Amino acid sequence: MQIDADLKKLERRAFLTFFQDGLWDIFIGLFVLGWGLGMLTSADYLVGVSFVGFWLIVLALKRWLTYPRIGYARLGQQKTRVISRLVIILAVVALAGALMAVLVSSGSRPQWLMEYFPLLFCGMLALIVAGIAVWLGAYRFVLHAAFILIAGAVHQWLNIKWPYTFIAAGALSILIGLYVLFRFLRRYPRASPEEIDAGR
Amino acid sequence: MPAGKPAGSGGQPITGIDRLIHEPSRYLIMAYLFVVESADALFLQRQTGFTWGNLSSHLSRLETAGYVVIKKDFLDKKPHTMLQLTDAGRTAFKLYRRTMKQALEDLPGP
Repeated sequence: MQIDADLKKLERRAFLTFFQDGLWDIFIGLFVLGWGLGMLTSADYLVGVSFVGFWLIVLALKRWLTYPRIGYARLGQQKTRVISRLVIILAVVALAGALMAVLVSSGSRPQWLMEYFPLLFCGMLALIVAGIAVWLGAYRFVLHAAFILIAGAVHQWLNIKWPYTFIAAGALSILIGLYVLFRFLRRYPRASPEEIDAGR
Repeated sequence: MPAGKPAGSGGQPITGIDRLIHEPSRYLIMAYLFVVESADALFLQRQTGFTWGNLSSHLSRLETAGYVVIKKDFLDKKPHTMLQLTDAGRTAFKLYRRTMKQALEDLPGP
């Protein structure tokens, strides 16, 4: 029914509004970049630190940059449920990744896993990002998934060191995020309190 | 067509249409508030593209009708005004959609 379809479209539009600022693109880029730097310097903790650290930074920037420009909305229960399911799936995939890492580091690692580990690992990471993108309807994020997959493929077949391909993929994602962010800042000036009061 | 009586199938008036929601701007505001739990005025202004004055006047009418409630909230320890559909508003919106759907389905074919 057209009326239902319009409401769904409206809900999707309201939800995707919060991805217009490019901050999640920058987050993915920084995380991948942090991962690359972690591998380069053998500082594995950088992976975890960059994930948690940048996540908190993005949340802070949302409050400082995004909400004063496009406003704030609490999502409906349906979207909240979708996000909860997404978190569960992410956790399952992360567990699968951890299992793969354990297999690789253990003595009984299969040959095929060792041989194609970079590609498999990046493929899985790319699948997570692409899956989230498609599920949320934020199709721009498929591009970041492609960068991650290409990073794995380049390392696998062109023998370029893994950290460098990761750093390059992260840098590309950051550049896209910055472009989207600047476009967002230009398009939506910060609303003054007087303006907001006038809306009441 | 007489005011308050939009024509239905066979020239019969559609009964039960809420004229307050039937106005396109107010329908859009109600629809946005229906798909989110609550939102601030800035969010509605950006989404709908209405002027502040226009938005304010429609919100006032919806608030007077008891369809929208204005809630004082805090965001980053600063006072923040959030708008939310009341139960009556949600019910009225659902009823409006159901009535409109029915009216459109009852239209005679070409």
